[in-house]
Amino acid sequence: MRGRVWGRIFGIALAGGLAFAATASAQTPPAAPEATHLGVQNCSGDNCHGRVGRIVGVRVQQNEYLIWSRKDRHSQAYAALKGPRAQRIAKNLGIADPQQAPLCLGCHTDNVPADRRGPQFSVTDGIGCEVCHGGAANWLGTHMAGADHAANIAAGMYPTERPEMRAEKCLNCHLGNSERAITHRLTGAGHPHIPFELDVFTTIQPAHFVADAAYIKRKGQPNDMQVWAVGQAEEVKRRMELLLDPKNAPKGLDIELSLFDCQSCHHARTDLQWQARAGTGLPPGRIKLYDATIVMLNTIAARVAPDAAKTLHDHMLALHKATGESWEAVQREATAVRDAAAALVPVLAKHQFDKADAQALIDAVISGPVAGDDLDYSGAQQRVNALEAIVAAIRALGFADDKQLAGLESARSGLYAAVADDQKFQPQAFTDALKAFKAKMPPL
Amino acid sequence: MSPVPRAPAPAAPAPAARAPAAASPTPPATPAGLKAGGHLGVVSCSASNCHGDVNRPRGSSVAGNEYLIWSKADKHHNSYAVLTSAPALRIAKALGLPDAVSQKRCLDCHTDNVAADARGPQFHIEDGVGCEACHGGASSWLGTHISGQPRKVNLANGMYPTDQPIARAEKCLDCHVGNGERFVDHRFYSAGHPRLGFELDTFSAIQPAHFTVDERYIQRKGNITDVQVWAVGQAAALQRRMDAFIDPKHAPRGMWPEFALLDCQTCHHQFGTIAGGSPGKFKLDDANALMVRVAAARIAPESAQALDQHIAAMQRATIGNWAGVQREAAAVRDIADKLKQTFADHNFTSEDMRAIGGGLIALSGGGIGSSRNDQVAMGLRAVAASLRTSGDLAPPQSEALDRAVKGVDATLTAVSGAHANASALIAALKNLQGTTRR
Repeated sequence: MRGRVWGRIFGIALAGGLAFAATASAQTPPAAPEATHLGVQNCSGDNCHGRVGRIVGVRVQQNEYLIWSRKDRHSQAYAALKGPRAQRIAKNLGIADPQQAPLCLGCHTDNVPADRRGPQFSVTDGIGCEVCHGGAANWLGTHMAGADHAANIAAGMYPTERPEMRAEKCLNCHLGNSERAITHRLTGAGHPHIPFELDVFTTIQPAHFVADAAYIKRKGQPNDMQVWAVGQAEEVKRRMELLLDPKNAPKGLDIELSLFDCQSCHHARTDLQWQARAGTGLPPGRIKLYDATIVMLNTIAARVAPDAAKTLHDHMLALHKATGESWEAVQREATAVRDAAAALVPVLAKHQFDKADAQALIDAVISGPVAGDDLDYSGAQQRVNALEAIVAAIRALGFADDKQLAGLESARSGLYAAVADDQKFQPQAFTDALKAFKAKMPPL
Repeated sequence: MSPVPRAPAPAAPAPAARAPAAASPTPPATPAGLKAGGHLGVVSCSASNCHGDVNRPRGSSVAGNEYLIWSKADKHHNSYAVLTSAPALRIAKALGLPDAVSQKRCLDCHTDNVAADARGPQFHIEDGVGCEACHGGASSWLGTHISGQPRKVNLANGMYPTDQPIARAEKCLDCHVGNGERFVDHRFYSAGHPRLGFELDTFSAIQPAHFTVDERYIQRKGNITDVQVWAVGQAAALQRRMDAFIDPKHAPRGMWPEFALLDCQTCHHQFGTIAGGSPGKFKLDDANALMVRVAAARIAPESAQALDQHIAAMQRATIGNWAGVQREAAAVRDIADKLKQTFADHNFTSEDMRAIGGGLIALSGGGIGSSRNDQVAMGLRAVAASLRTSGDLAPPQSEALDRAVKGVDATLTAVSGAHANASALIAALKNLQGTTRR
């Protein structure tokens, strides 16, 4: 999300060098989502966020608009609806023009109602500044006047720098909410399926903020491990809310398949892949709810809050079991998993993830498969994301010297190849890559 | 079509019935303690002067080598042994069972698993799917059978009328599609059980058949064409599939439907490689219904139309309406039941065969390995086999069809679970277009 850049741009330093997350979680979310959206043009001026070089004394890079417009696919989100893939999807869904369809516009542009679009607002800007940072009508004044970040937030700017708030914002499209979701009908029609991980997606967006001294002073030191951990908890929370949404209750033969693990069904019929899974307890022939993020959250909780991990794990197993029993049982267990994840959000948002955590979490992420635990493609994907986030934290927080960092990079090299193609995924090859990582990883 | 009249069709016994319903008119000599209609075992049939002869016994109305064909070439003979194999053990373990050979669920289709008091002293479970699994327990009819009584006496005593398409279909379908007691559900498939893909006429041929339709056979049992066996088999299979939908055991539970009721490829496809149906939604396995529709379009057009409507309504109901699925399944079931009898009573002419062949060719082109594609290929095989023996073709045409049929048979018998390829059949049948009857 391009979001956090805006916030930091003119903000005045937050009090002291407090760890950022602690400060952030004490803030209350903005309560004014109704503000008018003024449009990207109001941010992209060359003395604001559309500048190549930074003006002396300004707290942000000022090139945020340029990064978004040149490198960030969010700027192409509306245009993508005109492309051949979108046309094919629309045809399959019986939609005449995806650029006119609310189903598509909800996530491919800043689709606020007409009465909240300012004169310079353009739907063609796709996922522009105010989708994430909030409608600027109420805060652009204080923002430009150099008020501190807290004042902007109070005026309605969205606090994208707080991991839990950022996660909620991103998940509105990258997983869905009660109004919109990438249902199996959409993926069946050809829409891509992109499993989300907050920290990695923030990095590859690419981020249009730099956590330099000015940023840290105002917003605290970002910690990739924390962004990852909070993102997983929010993802599980949202996923369970979707599962509990009455729209997604099974109706006869019709179930919302997007809640399940894709490869549970989409594997070649001839590959006899089924084997007993201690991690789910499911018998053969049953499809498995997507649980890769629950498994990761459980791994994180086992380090940070062991009691919560036990609760989460027990309810995850009960949820898998419930899918074959009754919808009532599914609802009960999904509620328990959601509550467990929700309870972990503030814990993870407060926790100071340190060097010992980094080492312990790397070990925990790789130890399961190496010890022979169940491994699905979706689980492997989230493990790769986890290692990416932890290594990013090690790099950013100075937990390793250059030589160690080079060693970590080299150790990770085989992991991406092992998860490159879901249809060719071999659990053993991924496990071997994890073993190689463990063997080559330099001690921190 | 041969002028030889067909033998009167006895009423088909209820599905899964192993023992005959009719009481034997002459009390047979049954071993002490053996239930009437008891199963005497393969040994009772395999003698060299009965069905285990290399050459036809003098004066015999059959070839005499039936046991030899079964024991050497027919996989039914190995169906018990296969339960002791490593793949079967793997399936059993995946299902949480200690093994396969001790399980009723496996034995019911892999052997002649009659009750203990219906097993004669020479009965061996290890014989797999032996003579009496299809022909009926012989204790009540072996006497009249050996003493050369007319066939109708044997049938009256409890021999099963496997020559009649409806009766044969019901017998085979008890395992090859299933019935209220036996059903290969998605748990079994996922554990590794091979997929059941059945077509009565093709499977009769590649079994391989241990009968030859010669003058004597036709005289005793009538001339039943391949396409008729195909059509009846399809209607009977469709009826069974609909029964499976109506069966409360297969209702969705929790979040899981019974996936074995669906088209395998609705889920098991690689991303971006499938068409048809409603995006992201389940598609029913409609291959049998499409085949029945092709036959009905020629033989009973009003039924074809009703079938179309109910199948479409059933597919629509899969999105959120289980009661609707069951209601439409019951309607389809009733249509299939009636058509089964219509097809059994119909005299299939060579014009019928050509029309049905055209209908099947129009359905071809589905994905390789899809159940529809397999059924189209096997249906075309039945059409070609019928035309070949219809007497309407010039010898080169007949030979071309013969080669195409043998090609399909070779593919299907070479590898277990192989998919039939219709291309050679389509080419051979298309060559017939525009030709007139000889």
